[in-house]
Amino acid sequence: MIAVRDLVKRYGSFSAVDGVSLDVPAGSICGLLGPNGSGKTTTFKCLLGFARPNAGEIRFDGAPLAPATFERLAYVPERAALYDWLTAEQHLELTRRSYARYDEARARELLRVFELDPRKKAKHLSKGQQTALALTLALAIRPSMLVLDEPATGLDPIFQRVVLDLLIDAAANGASVLLSSHQVGQVERAADRVAILRRGKLVLGGDIDALKGDEKIVEAIFAGSAPSLNGLGHDARVRRVETTGAILRVYARRDADALAAELGGLGARSIRVIDRGLEDIFLDAVADGVIPEVPS
Amino acid sequence: MPAVVTVDSRSGVPIYQQVIDQIKRSVALGTLVPGEQLPTVKALALTLTVNPNTVARAYRDLEREEIIETSPGRGSFVRGNGVVGEMTRAVADVAAKAVGEAVREARSLGVARPDLERMVERALARWYPEETR
Repeated sequence: MIAVRDLVKRYGSFSAVDGVSLDVPAGSICGLLGPNGSGKTTTFKCLLGFARPNAGEIRFDGAPLAPATFERLAYVPERAALYDWLTAEQHLELTRRSYARYDEARARELLRVFELDPRKKAKHLSKGQQTALALTLALAIRPSMLVLDEPATGLDPIFQRVVLDLLIDAAANGASVLLSSHQVGQVERAADRVAILRRGKLVLGGDIDALKGDEKIVEAIFAGSAPSLNGLGHDARVRRVETTGAILRVYARRDADALAAELGGLGARSIRVIDRGLEDIFLDAVADGVIPEVPS
Repeated sequence: MPAVVTVDSRSGVPIYQQVIDQIKRSVALGTLVPGEQLPTVKALALTLTVNPNTVARAYRDLEREEIIETSPGRGSFVRGNGVVGEMTRAVADVAAKAVGEAVREARSLGVARPDLERMVERALARWYPEETR
């Protein structure tokens, strides 16, 4: 279980992370999404103890970061941290020396899965192979908590799917997995939770299926031009409203069916409720403009 | 069995709901028969490349609706006792959903209620000829 509460990290007067809370229970995969500069990397730095938060709390299985945590916590940075002059095999040896939980059989199996040559030096591996080796080292300690920064960088689609399968396997065995990604599609497939950051703030977060169940577009078509329903803009159920001629689109954050029924009562001649995929929800949440905040 | 279920992760329909709908449909169509074992949560999660919690949630809901049953250590099975019960329920659920979608679509196209009722009558006459006067 990884739990972050009201995390704040300031650099001078700039708030890189501003009150972020998120939970990754055991068995869960949480996708950390956000544009560049939204606070993902700073959040990771705080999680791993490389930056000292100005406020807030971070807990791993209920306890603050301590040397014992590192036994069970694996981190895979975006750029694989490898030693150029060591072979893949020597990297395994280094990991074996540092981690009591290191599982040699698992490590060998992962080398095979990623088709990595154990005798090849890291500097002779491609970008994707380096990523694969970093993942191998991380998973070989059978971590109960796994933090990954853009884990599929440089991998072709086939190995990207392999990585997702490995993360799903880790989660099925009870690990908490937190990954940042630019690719919403990856998160949408494998994750069950999401945290969307924008300018250091958490703009949307929680269970992905629950978000999809809540976030809908109610589209109403009126006989003449759509009425200007000023009240809707202040409705807590409504994210925003768009009017184009006879068409009114209400971006609901919840209760779309009730909103549809109410619009029907206002004389709309056609109403439909449109489902939204995570990518659409994500783009809306990080768009510029007034986006009301919601608690996760 | 895993081949019976597929998910569209880009769809706005929650993934657990897609799994539920398809398992119900398989039960209704008889491609999953009472007593048949379902894949484990982990196996289905890996087959579909979706989160294990998502599959576990779908199974929990299917248990609550008494479509499947899970016995600890043995796995999940399509319910076998009271065979007629869960088949009828699964069939009714799938059909109700399809009818609901059709009515919603008709309304969104601006079809008036009396016109829709006439359409339904025509469809009933076509597909249930023996019960039509």
